[in-house]
Amino acid sequence: MARSTTKDAQALFHSLRSAYSATPTNLKIIDLYVIFAVLTAIIQVGYMAIVGSFPFNSFLSGVLSCVGTAVLAVCLRIQVNKENKEFKDLPPERAFADFVLCNLVLHLVIMNFLG
Amino acid sequence: MSRFVVFLTLIALLPTLSFSFTPESPTDRRILVLLDDVSLKSSHSLFFKSLQSRGFELEFKLADDPKISLQRYGQYLYDGLILFSPTIERFGGSVDLAAILDFVDSGHDLIMSADVSASDLIREIATECGVEFDEDPAAMVIDHTSFAVSDTEGDHTLIVSDDFIKSDVILGKEKIEAPVLFRGIGHSTNPANSLVLKALSASPAAYSANPKSKLSNPPSLTGSAISLVSVVQARNNARVLISGSLSMFSNRLFRSGVQKAGSSTKHEKSGNEQFLTELSRWVFHERGHLKAVNVSHQNVGEANEPSMYRIKDDLEYSVEIYEWSGTSWEPYVAEDVQVQFYMMSPYVLKTLSTNQKGLYYTAFKVPDVYGVFQFKVEYQRLGYTSLSLSKQIPVRPFRHNEYERFITAAFPYYGSSFSMMAGFFIFTIVYLYNK
Repeated sequence: MARSTTKDAQALFHSLRSAYSATPTNLKIIDLYVIFAVLTAIIQVGYMAIVGSFPFNSFLSGVLSCVGTAVLAVCLRIQVNKENKEFKDLPPERAFADFVLCNLVLHLVIMNFLG
Repeated sequence: MSRFVVFLTLIALLPTLSFSFTPESPTDRRILVLLDDVSLKSSHSLFFKSLQSRGFELEFKLADDPKISLQRYGQYLYDGLILFSPTIERFGGSVDLAAILDFVDSGHDLIMSADVSASDLIREIATECGVEFDEDPAAMVIDHTSFAVSDTEGDHTLIVSDDFIKSDVILGKEKIEAPVLFRGIGHSTNPANSLVLKALSASPAAYSANPKSKLSNPPSLTGSAISLVSVVQARNNARVLISGSLSMFSNRLFRSGVQKAGSSTKHEKSGNEQFLTELSRWVFHERGHLKAVNVSHQNVGEANEPSMYRIKDDLEYSVEIYEWSGTSWEPYVAEDVQVQFYMMSPYVLKTLSTNQKGLYYTAFKVPDVYGVFQFKVEYQRLGYTSLSLSKQIPVRPFRHNEYERFITAAFPYYGSSFSMMAGFFIFTIVYLYNK
């Protein structure tokens, strides 16, 4: 039973990997970017747990810049994904322009809040 | 021209003509003495002389004199009132119960003495001051254990008491060795009234009854609940002395020797003179009168008083407290003066240090709360006038540019924020040019 579970897991992993390799490169770049942002956020939360929450505004702005970046990147990924029929009328250039604008606003707020 | 000069001089002298007790010059005070009988003036002359020798100007009037009045044109003519008229039913002139209460309410001092068969008017004045005399008009304080030994057995109404109030401020530093002779009526004080103090209490074996009749009912006043002499310090610092015996002020009892029943020591002179003189010193503010001046506060190391503090500022507070000694203002020395930094409740409560020369000072940090605060000194001690100072001061939060910046502990957060921006830039390039 245990062996079959391992096997199943391996089979599942392989199928996921082969399916993912079919993903377009631009979406893979976005995924990498999201992972980078989420990891940075997790590192900061760990750091806060160790040194305490003293410059709380700095902590919030650091974590929120990561979370915000990840969320915006995920939104971009949803909009530029060819298989997503919901945004088929939205050109990818327009989606990218929205992404850039939102990022500018986000980082402006973060800079003000960083203290 | 000369007329004009005289007029100017009179105008200039006008302020010196007011006699009320001012904190700056509490001397040359005028006291109205209302008597039942002109003979009291000579029979109680030792008490009056001691007042006169201390600079008081006494004006003797019969209590039913139709010309007496306490004020003229809204100004009080006297700084103190002595009522040695226990039997008076109605004062002459414009003086009545309300006038006397107004006199005390406006901060003036009163010494009143009731006696056996005191009139309703005198009892009412005492009641308004928080003291209830025994209702039986013939009642006297009787004590079969601590009466004054005399040649005849008597009815034990001339009692001796040495149960003084334990306060150096009220009775002076010098201990009163001889007991006090007392013949008169007793009174009780309301225990809920914290302004009335028993200056002289009867012994536990005393009771208040008519000495001429047989005791049929239990006496209403018994034991050390009986107060013989009480003092009141009102909230406006007016002081009142209420005694149940007029004869205790008399020359005869001042000079009389005293021997307590059951005790072998015979004192040459009763304690009456010392007790009543010291008590009258207190009543007429020659002792225990405090004033606070030069309240100042500033940031540590600065000279000027700011109009506002910031949270977490370090500040210094100082106040000078002096006590009137009868002739001059002397530094008041105590270890228990406290200041509060107060907004709804005290956020800071500090005991002030003193330099033994009247200056009290402390330093503390403004709490991390902003709002409108007060510096408060509430100083109430037995026998002393109450000091109540408050000074309002706003406390503001940090200005936007007063916060700490570039904190070392926050560098990882700064780094991550900037790395997110750099990441965004690199991502944009990679994303756009990867085709």
